[in-house]
Amino acid sequence: MKKRKFPLNYWRRLSQIVSFILFLFLFIKTDYSGSDSIDYAVNILFRIDPLLALCAFLAAGTIITLMLPAIVTLVVTFILGRFFCGWLCPMGTLLDGCHRLVPQNNKEYGTNFRPFKYYLLVFLLMGALFGLPVAGYFDPFSILVRGLALSMYPALNSLSTDFFTFTYQQAPGWVNAITEPVYAFLKYSILPFHQKYFDLAIFSFVILLIIILFERMERRFFCRNICPLGGLLAITATKPLLRGHGGSKCDKCKNCRDICRMGAIDEERQISPLDCNLCLDCVDHCPTNKITFRFGKPLGYKPVFSLSRRSFLSAIAAGVTLPFVMKTRVIAKRPDPFLIRPPGALPEDDFLGRCVRCGECMKVCIGNALQPTFLKAGLAGMFSPVLKARLGYCEYNCTLCGQVCPTGAISELEVNKKRIVKIGHAWFDKNRCLPFAKGIPCIVCEEHCPTPDKAIKFRLAEVINSKGEKVTVKQPYVVDKLCIGCGICETKCPVPGQAAIRVTSAGESRNPSNRLPNTGVTIY
Amino acid sequence: MDRRQFLKQISLWSLGLTLDVPRINIVSEALAMEVQSQPLAVAKGGDYTALVARVLESLGGMKQFVRPSDKVVIKPNIGWDRNPGQAANTHPLVVKALVEHALDAGAAKVNVFDRTCNEERRCYVNSGIKQALAGIKDKRLKHFHPDNRKYIPVDIARGKAVNRLEIYKDALEADSYINVPVAKHHSLSRLTMGIKNSMGVLGGDRGQMHHNLGQKLADLATVVRPKLTVIDATRILLRNGPQGGSLQDVKVLDTLIASADPVAADAYTTTLFDLQPQEIDSTVAAFKFGLGEIDLAKVKIIHA
Repeated sequence: MKKRKFPLNYWRRLSQIVSFILFLFLFIKTDYSGSDSIDYAVNILFRIDPLLALCAFLAAGTIITLMLPAIVTLVVTFILGRFFCGWLCPMGTLLDGCHRLVPQNNKEYGTNFRPFKYYLLVFLLMGALFGLPVAGYFDPFSILVRGLALSMYPALNSLSTDFFTFTYQQAPGWVNAITEPVYAFLKYSILPFHQKYFDLAIFSFVILLIIILFERMERRFFCRNICPLGGLLAITATKPLLRGHGGSKCDKCKNCRDICRMGAIDEERQISPLDCNLCLDCVDHCPTNKITFRFGKPLGYKPVFSLSRRSFLSAIAAGVTLPFVMKTRVIAKRPDPFLIRPPGALPEDDFLGRCVRCGECMKVCIGNALQPTFLKAGLAGMFSPVLKARLGYCEYNCTLCGQVCPTGAISELEVNKKRIVKIGHAWFDKNRCLPFAKGIPCIVCEEHCPTPDKAIKFRLAEVINSKGEKVTVKQPYVVDKLCIGCGICETKCPVPGQAAIRVTSAGESRNPSNRLPNTGVTIY
Repeated sequence: MDRRQFLKQISLWSLGLTLDVPRINIVSEALAMEVQSQPLAVAKGGDYTALVARVLESLGGMKQFVRPSDKVVIKPNIGWDRNPGQAANTHPLVVKALVEHALDAGAAKVNVFDRTCNEERRCYVNSGIKQALAGIKDKRLKHFHPDNRKYIPVDIARGKAVNRLEIYKDALEADSYINVPVAKHHSLSRLTMGIKNSMGVLGGDRGQMHHNLGQKLADLATVVRPKLTVIDATRILLRNGPQGGSLQDVKVLDTLIASADPVAADAYTTTLFDLQPQEIDSTVAAFKFGLGEIDLAKVKIIHA
């Protein structure tokens, strides 16, 4: 047998490593960089994802230009088959990389879950069309970026901070002479600027972890059986131009079957384009060099989806009916008052329809204000961004979330427009607010209120404080037409625990039915 | 108060070798002795770099405040995500000129930082200060965001309203601490000037400072004691402070005030807003501590 000096799978590995590094680079660059706009196309991964594009198109009922690069992926798949899954997909690379860490349980050829991804795909597409937009729960990029952004990246920072705080405080000078420059370099290069904190951090991590642990059952379990994007690409790759030809007249050693990470090779050593991700291991491992990938040559057999008609119809039915059940939930009648969406967010149904739960906005939010919600927006709204004003606030001059949103669920606003978009409204709790409740001077909220004509003003009032003394204090109030709901007042309120001023979604620009009470003429 | 002993306490605490919180214990009589009547320089003009040179010169030059191989901290106000014209932060040219003077005076290190209210990076960039300092190619200059590990609790023995604060290590250790606030409106304290600007070296929850702000600022001023206060009144914010945002609230004065006396500097600046020094709680409280002179009639004012 002739050994290639530079086996084909080296090229594939190189491609995987380069694209994974590129992915991490763009992930790290999803941050404020000293300029009001982000220089890199940090959300490109999501914009070349045809699953998310299709779901967003169906939900929005229109073509979203931002998502058009997804066509490239489809074209590439039509030519090369599931090349993307094997050579580029960062989730696939992560699974390949972790594979050795999760030893396989059995050596059986394949599981029987393979059609599941098609049922899931159909369900997601139907759901997107009829009002249950949950593609982001299963999309590999969404899962990956959420896992990194919401848990692993903040955890990495926390770990580094703890370590270097320990060395800084406890280690002798000569150790610090080494560790401090290292820490400075890490901060400059890969660590985030802020320590961030997220709801659903553990949950997002566990989802990613489970997908990695699935490797125990078989290689690329997620890609073979669950990944709806993989399903969509498989459909596109039914008859790719580049086709793999197995050794039908070979020595039947079945090495190729054993090593195929996608279980794409059957008993007859035929390579199914539905599953093959062109890793090319089989080409390199075939002792008789019988396996080739060629353009044009007919496949010689028809690849089978092995779908059950009943399950397929059930998936359609579920995708169609569930959305209508959703409309009977309480939040369909009265949305959660603390569901504060980022500035530029579309009206709720459009917003959720387009939001692919990628976590980019939460990653980029410099105030750590945007948090993934759990059930506040209903079962279909999990991981969608909400502003939690007690944790962080929307920075007045910042427009980054709209810039990184891959689908326009958060529209990109000019900073002048953004400054007047009302995302919610601040309300005082006079039982807690110090100048009201205790006669203690404060007005930290007024100090931080960012509108040039402050939305929080104050009146002088003579009150009796807790010591029984008569004191004059400044009591704050909110000016309805100036407050934009950025939440800095709630973030900075020095009252411990629950803030004495809270932001709700009341008055948000995107929802006219949520308008504030008005004694003047109501204009529609 | 033995400064050397205090510095030793700080380094022991930050190395984790002791749990005893460093303690500052100044006696007001001693302070009054120390702070003899200091002159105050005022300069007007459109060239802000030249203004800095003029006020420093009339006070005897930067060498009066920075000795060779001193560790210097220059503390501007970079609190807000506002541009220089909006008058919420110290003017970048003023900061830059001061840094250059300190370097020329032979400082071993010049550190410039502030703990901001808005997002740190945005404030440094939008204030213009980051860019202005990036133009100075001198390894002795460092401008950076505070490192959370370096806040040190300090007991303030004579504090009347607060007896412990977390203060940035560099500010405590500086041989020469130069305070460079911008003068502006502030609803709670009426004005924010030099004494208020020291809040930028505090760690922890600064919101708590606002309950009895004037006295707490004076308590802080007993620990963080600038060798020189340079107040930027090149343009002042008259309303909607401390961050403003509207140019209608900004008044251009082209004025710079400098003094070794932090109380006199604040007192003089107050008059630019048509207010009396006695109307500012922190100025009054600091004067009562003996940190400086509030009566401008007793201060030698040099028009530079």
